[in-house]
Amino acid sequence: MKKILILAIALGFLSSCAVVKEYEKVNINDPDMALGDKAIKRFETNAQAYREAASGANGGKTGGGCGCN
Amino acid sequence: MQLKTAIVNNKITKSLKKTLTFILCATALLAYGQDTIPSYKKRVLETVEIDFLASYYSQDGNNAAVTGGIGTEELTDRVSSIVVSIPLNDDDILKIDANVSAYTSASSSNVDAFDSVGQAADPFVASSGASGSDEWVNGVIAYSHSSDDRNNIWGANISVSKEYDYFSIGLAGNYTHLFNKKNTEVSISGNVYFDQWKLIYPEEIRDYFDEDVPEVFALNGLPTDKRNSYALGFGVSQILSKRAQGSLSLDLVQQEGLLSTPFQRVYFADKDDIIVGNGFQFADDIERLPSTRFKIAVGGRLNYYLNEVFVLRSYLRYYKDNWGITSYTASLEAPIKIGDMFTLYPSYRYYNQTKADYFYKANQALSTDEFYTSDYDLSRFSANQFGFGVSYTDILTKVNLLGFGIKSINIKGSYYERSSSLSYFMVSGGIKFVQD
Repeated sequence: MKKILILAIALGFLSSCAVVKEYEKVNINDPDMALGDKAIKRFETNAQAYREAASGANGGKTGGGCGCN
Repeated sequence: MQLKTAIVNNKITKSLKKTLTFILCATALLAYGQDTIPSYKKRVLETVEIDFLASYYSQDGNNAAVTGGIGTEELTDRVSSIVVSIPLNDDDILKIDANVSAYTSASSSNVDAFDSVGQAADPFVASSGASGSDEWVNGVIAYSHSSDDRNNIWGANISVSKEYDYFSIGLAGNYTHLFNKKNTEVSISGNVYFDQWKLIYPEEIRDYFDEDVPEVFALNGLPTDKRNSYALGFGVSQILSKRAQGSLSLDLVQQEGLLSTPFQRVYFADKDDIIVGNGFQFADDIERLPSTRFKIAVGGRLNYYLNEVFVLRSYLRYYKDNWGITSYTASLEAPIKIGDMFTLYPSYRYYNQTKADYFYKANQALSTDEFYTSDYDLSRFSANQFGFGVSYTDILTKVNLLGFGIKSINIKGSYYERSSSLSYFMVSGGIKFVQD
């Protein structure tokens, strides 16, 4: 329940942000500001999925599709 | 209590399956629909893009699961990938992703208790047994469709993976909606994997799984060779200011079937050890794990544009499953721009996890236990990873090759060390070409 509450507060916080207009997104559109990972990061994420019990919430494997944990 | 847990697990599984089926069907139907076409719209992908990617991975350690938590974990892996993104029209993209991985594993070689000339294996030395190397091939075909206003994106993909003792087929669907003048993005995704194992047991006890073995020697075979995984993902990302943006993601995963590895040995505390050759211990049994697992992972990213030189990229994750594992992950990457074309990528990642309820060090599990494993990937540990990368980017693609311009070149090295004995380093590289 506590975690759901924290998530709801976080979502509320996010939705209350000021709108940034398209012409103001020069910095946001910098390739290094992307919220996803670079293509070569897939190998690192894959190795971690094999060597660690935790997976998911990082754009990589969540389980299945390999002999990993 | 166990019955109650089983009922709850069953309900979660059914609920996940229904939701996934709905998402996959809805995605397919929505993607089929057409939008009204405005007078002008920018193509989602201008031209064909090709990524050539490769990595070299080398690991070592002294807690191999194949030899019951005692033995070399030496392993090398070379992966080559090609990813081709093709714009089908203004709105649709087809992506083909093909991967080949060739690995040699000292611990896997010790699935065979005797080498090719009949000598007993050494748990700390690679055997010349047949199981010491393998290839993994994988292919993914993905399709995505964007609406005319680019505020709705539907996608679906199918994947196939194959190695000697493993085959997997996967299906996935996803939907993303942008609003608030493209400042806010919400997404939902679902994927299912249907995996099949070829059951390979440690060589010295292989015969004990036969049906005609006397009961006193017999070992229980595994109840299934199939593994199904159902995952549901939710994401929200938000531009927080002109310099900051962040995202939250939640993954729920239910797995069923064979969740252990058939050739990983376990040594019991209440059984006599049988040791041959140079300290090679025969298995008392294989690892045995529950046939269901429910995982939940919550991740958050926050990226901040400091100035024209520095960007900060951070990531946090909390993970928990019903095998007793809780984990935290934190990472920070700080891209440093050197001129217009080069960027340096120093990074650090911290990870920790508690042990699974079923983890035992060698010779600690009891033969009367229901579940047991000596796989140190399921043990309690913390890990540090240090990385450094370099990127070259040429948005004008001045260097040309067979009608394709080089858009970017990336290379990165990482060193990973965990509090158990395992460590690895890897080097990854990639070149992106775009069609002129």
